[in-house]
Amino acid sequence: MINSSKIWLIIKREYSTRVQTKSFLLSTFLTPLLILGFMGFIIFMTVSDNEAPKQVVVIDETGRLLEPLTQLNATRYLPITASQSIDEIRDQIMADELDGYVLFDRSFLSEGTPATFVHNGAGGITFFESLRSDIRDVTRQIRLEDNEVSEAIIEIFEERPALENRRLNEAGVDEQSNAFLSSIGGILIGVFIFIGLFGYGAILMRSVIEEKTSRIVEIITSSVKPIELMLGKLLGVCLVALTQFSLWIATYAGVTILAAPVAQFFINQRMGDLQNSVSALDATGAVANVPSDIDLSFLEQFSVDPLFILFFFVFFVLGFLMYSSIFAAIGAAVDSEQDSQQFMTPVMLPILLGYMLNFRIAEAPDSTFAIVASLFPLTSPINMVTRMLVSNVPFWEVLLSILLLILSLIGMLLLAARIYRTGILMYGKKPTFKELYKWIRQA
Amino acid sequence: MSLVIDVQNVSKHFGKATAVNQVSFEVEKGQIFGLLGPNGAGKTTTIRMINHILNPDTGSISILGEPASPKSQERIGYLPEERGLYKKMKVFDQLMYLAQLKGLSHQAAKNAIDFWLDRFEASTWKKKEISELSKGMSQKIQFIATVAHDPEIYIFDEPFSGLDPINSEMLKDIILEEKKRGKTILFSTHRMEQVEQMCDDICLFNQGKAVLQGNLRSIKQSFGNNTILLDFVGDSEFLNELEGVRINNRSTNFAEIRLLEGASAQNILQVAIAQAEIQRFEIVQPSLQDIFFSTVKDTKVAD
Repeated sequence: MINSSKIWLIIKREYSTRVQTKSFLLSTFLTPLLILGFMGFIIFMTVSDNEAPKQVVVIDETGRLLEPLTQLNATRYLPITASQSIDEIRDQIMADELDGYVLFDRSFLSEGTPATFVHNGAGGITFFESLRSDIRDVTRQIRLEDNEVSEAIIEIFEERPALENRRLNEAGVDEQSNAFLSSIGGILIGVFIFIGLFGYGAILMRSVIEEKTSRIVEIITSSVKPIELMLGKLLGVCLVALTQFSLWIATYAGVTILAAPVAQFFINQRMGDLQNSVSALDATGAVANVPSDIDLSFLEQFSVDPLFILFFFVFFVLGFLMYSSIFAAIGAAVDSEQDSQQFMTPVMLPILLGYMLNFRIAEAPDSTFAIVASLFPLTSPINMVTRMLVSNVPFWEVLLSILLLILSLIGMLLLAARIYRTGILMYGKKPTFKELYKWIRQA
Repeated sequence: MSLVIDVQNVSKHFGKATAVNQVSFEVEKGQIFGLLGPNGAGKTTTIRMINHILNPDTGSISILGEPASPKSQERIGYLPEERGLYKKMKVFDQLMYLAQLKGLSHQAAKNAIDFWLDRFEASTWKKKEISELSKGMSQKIQFIATVAHDPEIYIFDEPFSGLDPINSEMLKDIILEEKKRGKTILFSTHRMEQVEQMCDDICLFNQGKAVLQGNLRSIKQSFGNNTILLDFVGDSEFLNELEGVRINNRSTNFAEIRLLEGASAQNILQVAIAQAEIQRFEIVQPSLQDIFFSTVKDTKVAD
């Protein structure tokens, strides 16, 4: 029978030797910083609009587009001065004094000749798109005016109907939803599980190879059964991974809980400053242009359901134990990491598959194919977790997925234990798949 | 006499190869027991089965009266042929881990390790990683890992291989000392002089079979006084003229001559005196080396 007190000793060793290493501390504390930095960078890029204003000279041969364009954006669109020739403008563009010029041909309005935008390459696709949209708006306005269309129709054209995105939660209350955000979250969480499964699986495999090549395994197996050693190692490394994930989740939770109050604090401070300056200037206390409250409820979308975290751990632990038992068996079968490549490939394929499918699943979480991938045990540790984050997965599907995963985990463990038991005491030639099969069949 | 290790009709196959074939032997309490044989003879596989690392395909192994089991593992101190420790682990932590795996409590393990580290004057290495130690130092740590749980049985697989003369002598002293304390020691080796000096009983392995076993002294006696040790000065050409003998060991002025069927020691002496100056002529029991070679050769012929 399995001796649990000895397994516990092995778990303790596996755990304590790993969490004390520098690389563990570094990866644990640097990763959230990197992710925070990355998120901050994205937010900064989307929120801040401090791009240097672009200057484009409008050469308007039709004589009708310049005025509405300058009305639309006076800093961007400049009229051509009488003294300037096109060649001078081109020189200025080359010298980076101007960003470009737009040429409207005489027949732009009458015959639809395309306008030309000549530029120095700065600005990119976003700027080009916004230029095109400006020109489209202005042209449409001119055409509507030319055709003496009624005000009512002009209003129809200017209308921008809004679509609010609300998702029904479990309590039956609809709340603000951001499908984009949860898709990103789903992909991110999939990446985490993928890295966790593969990264910690590789760590485990390397440690099995090290025990084998340093021959300590023979001393250990003169005290414990190979299956006890394998289980102890699996659980020990799994605990290290859970420790790391817990620290990350705690950091994340801390950040999201603190984000709203901290943001509110800074906003209040700025409003206070603003009000002070306003009241100092104007004794009547005109504060009409100071926003009384800023809606921070969007921050709630970043908070994570504790139940989801629980399921995340369940799927990670089960997936890790299943895959890592194979990694342990591979480590036991070979003498060096180079030799492991051949056996790694077939194991890597399903993990990679789950990882790749994840991008589709984040987009279409309730498609048949997403359901299959989230039930299939080799991909479910990644795909079910993503689906649960992006969509409302029926509870029975989650349970079925866990059940299938547990069954295949037990099967894998039994197979892996047989390879492991024989492999750790075999040295020399790398075994073939046929020999591994023989090891499994040996009672 | 109580049986400490009882191996009965044990066989072990790896695929089509037979590593151990119907082997039986018994080790009594307080003995030093030698497993001899060339490489690949099945010694290590047998030792692993006694240690309950491998299970025999057929036959039975009893340790201290009970079948080999995780419980019997705790009563054995095992030093494998290929030594190994965790390179990145500190000496003390490593010894604690291994001793506790052998069933010692935290406190008992700590006491034993402190005692042994002190005895080897190695207490200052406690906080060092194995990778920082010299080969001789890590061999001492390895030895402490084997003995810290105070087992009743010691099993050493090729204990003297890779040891320098000083460590080798120290290990020999410890083995004899542990025997005095009533411990039972089984070791495998291919170095005959150590077996002759230390062992009570031996078992000789060849190609997976136990080809010769029993009390070392009786075995040597059973071969009779059939060996001549000859010291001489002069031309050694006469050695080539001898008939009915095998010359086991030969140098410029020494020869160990084994008498085969029908050869006479007196004839040899006459031939030798006629051609060289004889300084020693002694009729003795064969050396273990000689017994080893002739037994292995005989089994080969029998196959």
